[in-house]
Amino acid sequence: MTNVRTRHRVATAAGAATLALVLTACGGVKTGSTGGDGATGGSDYPTKSIQMTVGASAGGSSDLISRAMSKGMGQALGVAMPVVNKPGANGALVAKELQTAKPDGYSIAIQNASLFAITPLAVSASEAVKVDDFDIVYGVSRDDYVLATNPKTGWKSIADMKAAGKTIRYGTTGVGTGAQLNSALTFATAGIKATAVPFDGGAPNLTALLGAQVDVSTMQVGEAIENIKAGKLVPLAVFSAERVPFLPDVPTAKEQGFDVQVSQYRFITTPKGTPQAVKDKLVEAAKKAFATEEYKKFNEENNLTPLELPGAEVASMLKADLESNTAKLKQFGISLASNG
Amino acid sequence: MDFTPIIDGFGIVLQPTNLLYCLVGVLIGMLIGVLPGLGPAATIAILLPLTYGIEPVSAIIMLAGIFYGAQYGGTITSVLLRLPGEASSVVTVFDGFAMAKQGRAGAALGIAAIGSFIGGTISIIGLSVLAPVVAGYALDFGPPEYAALGLLGVLLVATVGNGGKLKAVIAAALGLLIATVGRDTFTGAERFTFGNLNLADGIDFVPIAMGLFGLGEILYNLEENHKKVHAPAKVARVWPTRQDLRESKGAIARGSGIGFGLGVLPGGGAVLSSLVAYAVEKRRAKQPERFGRGAIEGVAAPESANNAAATSSFIPLLTLGIPANATMALMFGALLIQGVQPGPQLVDQHPDIFWGVINSMYIGNILLLIMSIPMVGIFVRILRVRPAILAPITALITMLGVYTVNNSVFDIYLVIVFGIVGYLMKKFGFDPGPMVLAFVLGTLIESSSRQSLLIFGGDPTGFVTRPISGTIFAAILLVALFPLLRKAFRMRRGDKQPEPAPERLPERETTEAK
Repeated sequence: MTNVRTRHRVATAAGAATLALVLTACGGVKTGSTGGDGATGGSDYPTKSIQMTVGASAGGSSDLISRAMSKGMGQALGVAMPVVNKPGANGALVAKELQTAKPDGYSIAIQNASLFAITPLAVSASEAVKVDDFDIVYGVSRDDYVLATNPKTGWKSIADMKAAGKTIRYGTTGVGTGAQLNSALTFATAGIKATAVPFDGGAPNLTALLGAQVDVSTMQVGEAIENIKAGKLVPLAVFSAERVPFLPDVPTAKEQGFDVQVSQYRFITTPKGTPQAVKDKLVEAAKKAFATEEYKKFNEENNLTPLELPGAEVASMLKADLESNTAKLKQFGISLASNG
Repeated sequence: MDFTPIIDGFGIVLQPTNLLYCLVGVLIGMLIGVLPGLGPAATIAILLPLTYGIEPVSAIIMLAGIFYGAQYGGTITSVLLRLPGEASSVVTVFDGFAMAKQGRAGAALGIAAIGSFIGGTISIIGLSVLAPVVAGYALDFGPPEYAALGLLGVLLVATVGNGGKLKAVIAAALGLLIATVGRDTFTGAERFTFGNLNLADGIDFVPIAMGLFGLGEILYNLEENHKKVHAPAKVARVWPTRQDLRESKGAIARGSGIGFGLGVLPGGGAVLSSLVAYAVEKRRAKQPERFGRGAIEGVAAPESANNAAATSSFIPLLTLGIPANATMALMFGALLIQGVQPGPQLVDQHPDIFWGVINSMYIGNILLLIMSIPMVGIFVRILRVRPAILAPITALITMLGVYTVNNSVFDIYLVIVFGIVGYLMKKFGFDPGPMVLAFVLGTLIESSSRQSLLIFGGDPTGFVTRPISGTIFAAILLVALFPLLRKAFRMRRGDKQPEPAPERLPERETTEAK
């Protein structure tokens, strides 16, 4: 009996020890890569690997862009730049984490404009991510949106859709996304009655449109382009200032008389207060990465337009976008948070 | 139909390098499938950078191997440790673990391997021949159809498990409640997140399953005074007997068909297929009470179904460019990195990739079956390890596995919380199975029915007027009313007897008499 009891105790202790071990091990990973020698002002930066976090699952466009950049920048800086995926809250989880990380240049993230300029319009104030909480190092690339329909509808333009004279059901990729904002603004400016049907991400949204479960959907160009080329989807408009080079025959919404142009763009961020010398080195590395043939090919294959701009310009773009989005939603009385 | 590309595809697969990548893939897949918590998605994410320098076909062959190899490996922990690695193997746990306790772990694993092989192979044949046709029908499934399927799934949850019906319903209700946690995708409202961003996307399947099944079981066993320690150590036969094979023949065939059909549906197909396959076998069985207590069909059917579903989930990716699950999303990314755009034109533009991947699965499945034979013999010995050693190792690997899914420490805390819940449930006789399955289906039901109502403009009659969802709703009615009708029928027949027996007794007698 005593034997059994000792064994029991050993097992309990071993279990507890394992738990403790796992917890400290994981905690260790986290602090180990972010803490360290940032106090030197960055003159000898980088001396160890730099962690690049992504607020999305592996395989999506945010992830692929981060991986392409980490590869090029890592080569330029001569250190490893592991990409760590931490999906959650459309990237807000990574934003909050980066915000509190040590500003030594060893934690960086490529973040999405929608998180700063659109999502704040849909979530509570405490969860909104602000531009001023980060150092924006450099712009990366732009990803445009396209409004498409199932060929069954027979529509070729926004005017055709309006002429159908019915309540349009449109798919979106979720609340507070560029896809939702572009659609909502288009329907409001065109005076079309419409109901949003939110899907949890790009894949189910695309599926629903291909199956004609919804009338139209707004998607990122890369998500839709293969089905557009195959004739399974018909593009109605792109939401950019000029036509998208990957879809040269598709007119912009503005050309069709509806001034809606919301794009997704991505940029390199570090925690607020990162030394200038460190940021300069990151910019230099980013420029080297942009210049490689491999990266240029990556952009083309993924239908991305370069947006290689200094951080300050990106920051003012973000602020201007947030302002104009807020104003437009107010003008048309649209709320992203409470639809249908 | 032009067969040249198919034959060329075999030519590609049979190149020594590609065979090697296929072998490496299935081997890695099988091993990570055995490690609880660590799933194919996390593994592929870690290995993605390694594929940059490889030929696209070889890279995808290897990644695909990891994916379906993990399905084989996942069965091993479900049966031996009562730890399902994926939602689609939760159903296997009930009869698989019961068989292991009876010393029939080898038979369970053997039949699972055979069922997986047959299910996988039937599904690949279906994929080669029917892919474009089936892809079209997958698109006819819109939100209303998914809502109906989800509802049918929840109804079938009650048939699973060996606790009482009432307890299963309570556990399922709790599972549905947990599914509501997170930021509402329709309005952006926070639900039960307590201002914690880690909960904004809701709770992942992995921490819940690892906590309720894995940690809960470990905690419970620590409390038990190890009286049963040596009970399962007697593993007489490694392979299923001829009778086992005869009993599960039909289950494997039906499971494969169900798995192929439902696996094509992006979103929830694999889970539903294993659940439906199990429920079908239980309904068909002459002695349904054997289920949950070590019925070999209860292992054969869902295992054949989930492997068939894993294979057919390639159809939406390869023919429509739609990733059906997290792993498929990674394959999509891997293809993009290689400069290949998955979509409707893939089969014409890159026939080498399309047929290379499909045909590699024939070879991969054969490799897996061959590897399973010695592996079963080795893994069954896990049962001889003393819990004092096995429990902490399992806990450690589970925690590490859970961490890798989202690189999140928060998920580890979740495992601990759900571990305690699982311990309490087990102590009070609740089965975690219905809770986990209802949790997985809850999100599907909620979002699909809300999407449907938006599409219908608020008119719920749409659910029954659409042909497919209408049919599924009819099936739901049938499943729900069937036991009542049967009871009424039996009662009527019972009236003819001179003395009306208590209503429960004759039911038992008749089923056992058969």
